[in-house]
Amino acid sequence: MAFLATFLIRRLAQGLLIVLIVSFAIFTALRLVPGDPARLILGPMASDAVVEQTAREMGLRDPIPVQYVHWLGQVLHGNLGTSFIKAKSGGEAAGGRDVSALGDKATVVELLEQSVPMTLQLAALALVFAFMISLPIGILAGMNSGGWFDRFAVYLGSAFVSIPNFWLAIVLALVVTAELQWIPSIGYEGFAYTILPAFVIAIEMSPIFMRSLASSIASAKQRNFVQLADVRGLSKRRVFLRHILRNAAVPVLNVFGVQIGAMLGGVLIVEYIFNYPGVGLLTVQAVLERDFPVIQGVALISACLFVVINILVDLISTKIDPRLDF
Amino acid sequence: MATLASVPLLRLENLSITRPDGSFVLAGVDLTVPADGVLGILGESGAGKTTLAKAMAGWVSDPLRVTGGGIRFRGEDLLSRDVQKKVRPRIGFIGADPGNAFDPTLPVGVQIAEKLLAVAPDTAAAEAKKRVIALLDAVRIPSAARRFAEFPGQYSGGMLQRAVIVDALINEPDLLICDNIIQPLDVTVAAQIVRLLKELRVRTNAGIVFITTSVPSVAEIADEVAVLAAGRIVERGLPMAIARTPQHAVTQELVARTPRIWTGEPAPEPSSAEVTPILQVSDITKTYSVKDRARFFGKQHVQAVRGVSFDVYQGDNFGLVGESGCGKSTLSRLLSWVEEPDSGAILFEGKNIAEMTGRERFGMRRGFQLLLQDPYNCLPPHLPVGRTIGMALSIHGVGRKETAERVRAAMAEVGLSPDDLHRLPVGMSAGQRQRVNIARALVLEPKLLILDETLSALDPVEQGRLLNLFERLQAKHGLTYLFISHDLAMVRRVCTRIAVMYLGKMVEIADTGGVFYDPGHPYTKALLSAVPTLDERPYRTEDVLLDGEPPSPIDLPPGCSFTARCPEAMTTCRIKEPALWSRQPGRLAACHVTAPAP
Repeated sequence: MAFLATFLIRRLAQGLLIVLIVSFAIFTALRLVPGDPARLILGPMASDAVVEQTAREMGLRDPIPVQYVHWLGQVLHGNLGTSFIKAKSGGEAAGGRDVSALGDKATVVELLEQSVPMTLQLAALALVFAFMISLPIGILAGMNSGGWFDRFAVYLGSAFVSIPNFWLAIVLALVVTAELQWIPSIGYEGFAYTILPAFVIAIEMSPIFMRSLASSIASAKQRNFVQLADVRGLSKRRVFLRHILRNAAVPVLNVFGVQIGAMLGGVLIVEYIFNYPGVGLLTVQAVLERDFPVIQGVALISACLFVVINILVDLISTKIDPRLDF
Repeated sequence: MATLASVPLLRLENLSITRPDGSFVLAGVDLTVPADGVLGILGESGAGKTTLAKAMAGWVSDPLRVTGGGIRFRGEDLLSRDVQKKVRPRIGFIGADPGNAFDPTLPVGVQIAEKLLAVAPDTAAAEAKKRVIALLDAVRIPSAARRFAEFPGQYSGGMLQRAVIVDALINEPDLLICDNIIQPLDVTVAAQIVRLLKELRVRTNAGIVFITTSVPSVAEIADEVAVLAAGRIVERGLPMAIARTPQHAVTQELVARTPRIWTGEPAPEPSSAEVTPILQVSDITKTYSVKDRARFFGKQHVQAVRGVSFDVYQGDNFGLVGESGCGKSTLSRLLSWVEEPDSGAILFEGKNIAEMTGRERFGMRRGFQLLLQDPYNCLPPHLPVGRTIGMALSIHGVGRKETAERVRAAMAEVGLSPDDLHRLPVGMSAGQRQRVNIARALVLEPKLLILDETLSALDPVEQGRLLNLFERLQAKHGLTYLFISHDLAMVRRVCTRIAVMYLGKMVEIADTGGVFYDPGHPYTKALLSAVPTLDERPYRTEDVLLDGEPPSPIDLPPGCSFTARCPEAMTTCRIKEPALWSRQPGRLAACHVTAPAP
């Protein structure tokens, strides 16, 4: 138990540091890019004096570290700030032209509360699809490494990797939704709207899982103790379930941890194309509109998610293979 | 059951196994394994021993094929899958690679119990665990109940080999196949394993097949010996007859190659005392800190080298012996200044390496080369060997033309053909690779070569050739060698002075004659009692052989670190650490027992 406690304390401390560095980097970068949020909020018609005054009220003219510390203090109170653009209703505040409407803007926490569950649902389904595709193919390819199925899996993987996700998304939306009208997509009015976007993300992710699974299973199969197991009288089934899979799991888990980052990137594009109301769409809109608080909130959540998942991956890995030491 | 007795336990009838290109691995092997007793099979590497061992367990794997004859276990065809399924629980197989015999991600005990449950499904899980612990205990694995739950990585090599033996014996097989099981082990551990097998043959009712390259060990354990050469049985007989009057040329060579320790040529004499030391080592230490997983900021301190002093004289062959984990390799890294010692000084030709400037140290390295054990991983795989050899010269600023000449000369000197200049290391044999390494060191015209287990990965024939090469090079260039090795017989043959290391300390330093004929430390005696040799030993294994494992270098006991395993330990040994003292001129030992009373 002592190991678990020290592991978690150490890794969470490291993770906190990573999240702080990432959020500070994003925070700084946002303030260095051209475009004044105050001007964006007030619109092109407002006078420079008003813009300047609003900017001062919002703290946008303070030195960046001061702004960051202030923001961080708010974050610790559970306040991620208020969107510059988005109205409480969820829609956009009529181009944000009305200065007095500043108070009616949605808070970042509210926006995330709406979008994070949607994205989690999408990501979970995408993972289910990805595993449904890559587990059987990867395992079969690994068990028959060098055989025709292994080669088939390589070709399939290259094909999947070469399909651009935006292209596949558009084609699926056109064919499956518009033409055939089998599965709805574009926007969100029920669970069925998750299927196509999830499928696109799954196709994008599965080749990497397939390949890493196939190669780790093939190399586990070559290990001396697996070869010996037959002579020791263990059944093939048992050797596969208890020894080959176990030894192949660690590299695959690590790939999974890294792929979470790639998946977040995929979500961005796919949600935007399918107009799926998740974090990805929120981010794209926020970036286009220089909605700093929202971008910061999303970055913070993503960084936390990435850190937590990788801590879990490493924890499970050490449970599977005691030689690992993180 | 009279018929059972008449059917042999295992019978190979004219068995031939071929490679895909049609060449034979085994060609018409006829062997009978009796229902009890030990059949020894002797053969050098490449004779087909492992293929034979596996075939005896009904294990012929791709791309090898049985192309003639058969294998019968109690009269049943062991090549049929059904028979294999049925009789495998009756056969225990122990391989040469205990480090890879278990799944590294599961506890050792759990895996042995898993096997027992697989071959004897009626056993209750708790009962299986009890039996595994009892047997682990019986093969003298310390605190077996705790070790049951430990992972393979936490076992030492010798303990793993014992665990593999337990795994093979757990379901009381009728046939036990031991394929070269002592090859990778340190001499004392190998001797322990042979002793264990001798005990087991009395306790179990299994027929044992003991396959090995070592004439002494087969002579010690077998009732009958067959000699395998190039896939054929070339000679059979009683072990003593084979050892004393070998008939076939291969057997004669195997016997001739068996090291003579106490008979044969006299020990090499050290050069006269006036010569200057080329390397002086005084009281160096090295401690590594490793993370303690159980504590938050905790560190564990591994004391790898604990105050080592010795001198190596010009033109000498200095040997450094000790078992795995005694700190030999750390010492070689310190000597070659790959790492710096925590304290103490190393002087090369009278100059303290620590006080040299970067430039001086760079120049010094030309005179000071290190050759490592693993011939496979120390050559860059993508460079032609000519480039690899020449690289050291270009690093030291030698012109291209001169480099080419010297590379050619060095390659010729170590016996590589000029055609090899542009070859990649891939496809070269271990011996050839090691020659490339030697050439790479030689081009710099060094004065001192540190050979860290340089020959251990090679088969005895190649080993002998390289030793001859070293002798020639020494005569020609006046080289000084520092051999770091666990192979006492090799050290006995070439070294003039020997240091014995145990747990990071020198326990004895003496001339070769002193170490082998008049050892001053019980640990040296134990090592000597374990050397595989056909000679009459001055020390009876029973009196001095070590039991158990050395203490962990993280948690050293007070006093002499050898106390726990020393048959002669006294009260003082547990309190005070002995220092090296001079027993006779040039013979030092660190032991309270052999020291004169203060």
